[in-house]
Amino acid sequence: MVESAWGWLIVAYLFLAGAGSGAFIAAVACDLLAPDWSKALARAGSLAAGPLVAVGTVCLVLDLDAGLWEPWRQIYLVNNLSSMITWGVLILALFIPIALLYAAALNEITFVGRIASKYTQYLRGVGSFLAVSTAAYTGVLIAVVNGVPFWNTPLMPLLFMASAMSTGLAVAMIGAAIIDIRTIKTLSNFALGHVIFLAVEAVVLMMFIFMSLTRSTEAAMSASMLISGVLSPYFWVLVVVLGILIPFVLSIVEYYEYGEMPKSLVVGADLLVLLGGMSLRALIIFSGTPPQVV
Amino acid sequence: MPRYGIAVDTTKCIGCHACRVACQNQNGLEFKEAYNWIKQRDRGKFPAFGSEFVPVQCNHCEKAPCQRVCPTGATYTTSEGVVLVNPKTCVGCKYCMEACPYKVRIVEHHKGIVEKCRFCIELVREGGAPACVTTCPTQVRIFGDLDDPNSEISQFVAQHRAQPLRPDLDTRPKIFYRRS
Repeated sequence: MVESAWGWLIVAYLFLAGAGSGAFIAAVACDLLAPDWSKALARAGSLAAGPLVAVGTVCLVLDLDAGLWEPWRQIYLVNNLSSMITWGVLILALFIPIALLYAAALNEITFVGRIASKYTQYLRGVGSFLAVSTAAYTGVLIAVVNGVPFWNTPLMPLLFMASAMSTGLAVAMIGAAIIDIRTIKTLSNFALGHVIFLAVEAVVLMMFIFMSLTRSTEAAMSASMLISGVLSPYFWVLVVVLGILIPFVLSIVEYYEYGEMPKSLVVGADLLVLLGGMSLRALIIFSGTPPQVV
Repeated sequence: MPRYGIAVDTTKCIGCHACRVACQNQNGLEFKEAYNWIKQRDRGKFPAFGSEFVPVQCNHCEKAPCQRVCPTGATYTTSEGVVLVNPKTCVGCKYCMEACPYKVRIVEHHKGIVEKCRFCIELVREGGAPACVTTCPTQVRIFGDLDDPNSEISQFVAQHRAQPLRPDLDTRPKIFYRRS
């Protein structure tokens, strides 16, 4: 296995940015679609979004080799608009404050919240756009790289988007259970969301793997590393079974049982989705294989 | 302005790693750090088989993917066509290392930056050649101006139809190889 220049900090960032932006979208959707009975979910999602992405951004800064050594060099990060990192820095710099303001508005935190709540609809619109940008950009970031053919496909941002949606919803549902455990019954309404997002994620993941097997020698090497090589135990157990299959089945049961499922299973399914999302990103980063040049 | 490149004759390479040591000396690199490598490749099948040594270093691509993805603009191309890293603006995000298909960039942790082969630009501007070129006991590398049809390198590339590594990646590398 070839050592990647990027390690766990970048994996954590990709996961946190996805989960945070997904949670924001989940919060906006709940806020718009069912403001009366999904209040806890919208509050939890909005509260989680900003901090999650901010922690992810801290991981990014820690990964910079000069991040803490000579931090002022970070000002140059917005120099080159043909670099996805420049776009990422701009998107993150806008998204984090807007997500925090939206959380303040929904949860009526201090005077900031009171002022922000007057502009909720703008925060919602601009925030959703930036949330989608954040989720998609994490995929584009690695998809535009020539050095790793496995990542170099338009399916990459799609896969990360799908994963961001499911992990974001999971974050919002766990948060709602923490804020108000009595809402656990109403959470069953959102199990359908999990069913849809996980199904989309599974289909995109399948296309991604199948197409990688024939795209190029190096992409095929990476893909076979995942499905039958050194990383296959992690891929099948953590991503496919624990991250997609089990939460998918649990969410279907949850939807039809409507509130009768044990609380531990409801929250457990969400935790598994998070585990799957993190593992997916780790495996994609660590299975990247450079072109064979000699 | 010249357009510097290197022609590599892999049929002459004996894999002694003198180029690597010379490079480390010239650039003050530590024992484990290097800007050039010798990749060994097995070719043929028994009984007609053998080993080939392929020296690899930064290709100073004309369409450098590392330069395109560098968020700070620290990676730049000089007028001589040499791709360099500005240590004052590089923040060490390592995006260039992911973007480089040849994987010839390394992190210099004590400076917090990413570095790579610089074609020994300080020697070249004084009229010399890079350390890896001058030190090679079998004269595997030829350094020179690719735009000058009479230069040794241009003649060599034309005579042996030398090709860059993976020209299909379309980065337009400036290191040309005669393969065995």
